[in-house]
Amino acid sequence: MLGSVRGPVIKIEGLGVRYGNFWAVRDASVTLEPGVIHAIIGENGAGKSTLLKAAAGFVPIVTGNVRVEGDANASTIGMVHQHFMLVSAFTALENLVLGAEPTQSFGRLDLARARTRANELMKQSGLSVNLDATTRDMAVGERQRLEILRVLFRGARAVLLDEPTAVLSPIEAEELYATLARLAKEGATIAVVTHHLDEVIRFAHHVTVMRRGRTVASRSIDRTQSAALEDELTRAIMGGEPPAPTKAPSLPDKPSEALTIDNLVLVDGSGKRVLDGVRLSVKAGEIVGVAGIEGNGQRELGRAVAGLEPNVTGTIALGGKPFEPVRSMDDMRARRRALAVVHEDRHADGLMLQASVGDNLVLGELGELSSTMDEKNAVVRRIDHFGIFPADAERAAGSLSGGNQQKIVMARALDRIEASAARAAVVLGQPTRGVDVGAAAVIHRAIVSAAERGLGVLVISADLGELKRLSHRIVVLSGGRIVAELPPDSPDDVIGRAMLGMEAA
Amino acid sequence: MKSAHDIRAALPIVLAIAGGVLLFDLMAFGFGQAPASALRMAFDGTWGTAYGIGQVLFKATPLLFTGLAFEVALRAGLFNIGAEGQLALASLVGAVVASKLPPSLPAVVALPIVLCVAAATGAAVAFVPAILRVRRGVHEIITAIMVNRIVDAILPWALATVLGSTSLRTADIAPGAALPRLERVFPALTGSAASFAFPLAVVSVFVVIELLRRSRVGREIRWVGLRAEACRAEGIAVEQRLLLAMLLSGAVAALAVSSTALGYKGYYELGLGAGAGWSGIAVAMLGRGSAMGIVLAAVFLGTLEQAGLAVNARVPKEAMDVLEAALIVLVAVATRAAAKEEAANKRDDEPFEEKPARAAATEEVAR
Repeated sequence: MLGSVRGPVIKIEGLGVRYGNFWAVRDASVTLEPGVIHAIIGENGAGKSTLLKAAAGFVPIVTGNVRVEGDANASTIGMVHQHFMLVSAFTALENLVLGAEPTQSFGRLDLARARTRANELMKQSGLSVNLDATTRDMAVGERQRLEILRVLFRGARAVLLDEPTAVLSPIEAEELYATLARLAKEGATIAVVTHHLDEVIRFAHHVTVMRRGRTVASRSIDRTQSAALEDELTRAIMGGEPPAPTKAPSLPDKPSEALTIDNLVLVDGSGKRVLDGVRLSVKAGEIVGVAGIEGNGQRELGRAVAGLEPNVTGTIALGGKPFEPVRSMDDMRARRRALAVVHEDRHADGLMLQASVGDNLVLGELGELSSTMDEKNAVVRRIDHFGIFPADAERAAGSLSGGNQQKIVMARALDRIEASAARAAVVLGQPTRGVDVGAAAVIHRAIVSAAERGLGVLVISADLGELKRLSHRIVVLSGGRIVAELPPDSPDDVIGRAMLGMEAA
Repeated sequence: MKSAHDIRAALPIVLAIAGGVLLFDLMAFGFGQAPASALRMAFDGTWGTAYGIGQVLFKATPLLFTGLAFEVALRAGLFNIGAEGQLALASLVGAVVASKLPPSLPAVVALPIVLCVAAATGAAVAFVPAILRVRRGVHEIITAIMVNRIVDAILPWALATVLGSTSLRTADIAPGAALPRLERVFPALTGSAASFAFPLAVVSVFVVIELLRRSRVGREIRWVGLRAEACRAEGIAVEQRLLLAMLLSGAVAALAVSSTALGYKGYYELGLGAGAGWSGIAVAMLGRGSAMGIVLAAVFLGTLEQAGLAVNARVPKEAMDVLEAALIVLVAVATRAAAKEEAANKRDDEPFEEKPARAAATEEVAR
């Protein structure tokens, strides 16, 4: 099934793809050769995902063409989407064979044969998953491996991945690239869309930069000149000078307490202590980073502080004032006056994708904005400050790119809390997940300016680089506990060990 | 450019109606009637004469209320399929109260009293599925079906025993509680049962849809329907909004009593207005959320009902029921097709599809 069949050469020439009246891709030309990892980078909405989808035949092509040259029986192109396309109630094996099920007579499912083939494939590709695990219980990294296996299972020799590392921890990302490199070495055609320049420089062999629907640069990667390359790529992505890196602001002399959490415990439905006595404090004007591997209590920490977990025990104080557990809407409102939270899963807890950008920007504030004029001003201000693109309050939020959706939830939280007299702290879950360099810079500046204005900022992020740049202190969350507190200039491997729950220095 | 798109979007609807006419012809032919003359008869009984128009409006009136009722709940993400029971009990209670009012009471006092009592009754019936959904997470469809059955059982029993009526009807309502017929101002409509309940219904549709669109409560109800979790995270009282939407839905459904007991019969009898609750679902679905859409859908269904009565002598009513159901399906398919066409024209930018895993999986399979 894998063998040494070389993957196809995918030649994309003068490609144009249109959604309605909007040209997602205007003029893109790139050749994807087998045997190397090909990275495609660019800002949100630059047309990277669409390019992949067109290459894989998911979207109709308006102009130009995609030519797939190669062995006829190895020309299948598989795509791993940004959002996993797995049935969460199925086992890994069931998902693996879904749509390409081996059958016995009368169409009975032949899972035994499927298992043999799956095991063979796992051995060949070096990707391993527990075939009997229910998909919803699988970790993100494992689900991703399953997606790739699924593509290979169908005999694809070209694998296109749309932002595969957006949801992975650094260690998982490294493993993924090792796998991809192995597949490439065996002759597969691999293309990866990503936002992380460092990944491109460390792992890719060839890179194509897209900007506003066009391919603006394409070159092979010379790892000996990584600094110059990074600079050049950033310039190509932004179409101009890269933004100055943001730094944590200096701390005030005698900072007051902004957010104090003590002995926070949350037990989930299956009896697992997802938060196991979390204790941390953030001073006014301070940015504290929370590092950790996905699924170690990050999401629950954000939700508990926001007052969305009714069963949480422990104390939470904002601005030095202890807050009661949320029992009523009044408790909730009182907490919201002191605190703004951006939840890490913006699609589940943050956005109404079918509602307009304007509605999303004032969600929850209709009782606080006194008139429609106030509301309009707030919407315009938030779109403007955060450079939400397109700057159209009427457009459905779901039609915006991921980075701009993220700007919506950030703009709503930060702008609202700044206007509140009782403001104390903000908690930001994965503030720049799936966000391009330009949008990330906007968001980072906003985070720093929130701290400068005296808010305590807790940033929960899977992006270590981001935490190291922004934070005054980094705490590490592992197994629902804070296991280490480290200065932001700690080396990656020290933080990494703490993230894995090993004893830190 | 734009008008070309509009025409393309309207095409499925035109085709659906053409298909309906064809189906009607076939049916009439099947029952041994000349299709053209049966069609002529159906037209004369509906839009061909002033009386027919009045009857269409009369038939459309309760559907406007129940269609609006379903729409209100739907916006909050709830399926209020209990309109049938809400309307029935509200009709009984409203008619009983109306019959107890002193005959001398002027309409400006009597009508609001009766309508408020009916609306409150409808809301109370809707409260049962609403509170069970909000507090206990019981699906409102199941509870609403059961509440419908309970109301079905209570009505004849209450009429026969508590109210002591042998003919399963209430006493006549006080004159002040009756809604005048439209023929009073439009003499051409003489003989038809259309009453001022029709303009009341149309105004209600536009007012309520506008409130949903612009008022704080209305917008929050819609937002909760779009993503309750995000609303909860941003401090919106999700449960309260759900409850409110369901109560409002029940109250609006109950107002359909204005066109039946108050505007037409002058009393409530068992079965009066039955079926309107169900047809309301079709109205809301065909209306696709706009006030104009709901009005058009209600008039469309009203036309079908009236056409069925008009040709009853030649084509059995059951055949017309079949036609009505088939036409609703046709129009539903057509409006979906039209909506798709519109969406394709509107869609911009990189789509970030949020597909449920299963839909995505089936798509994968289809490939």
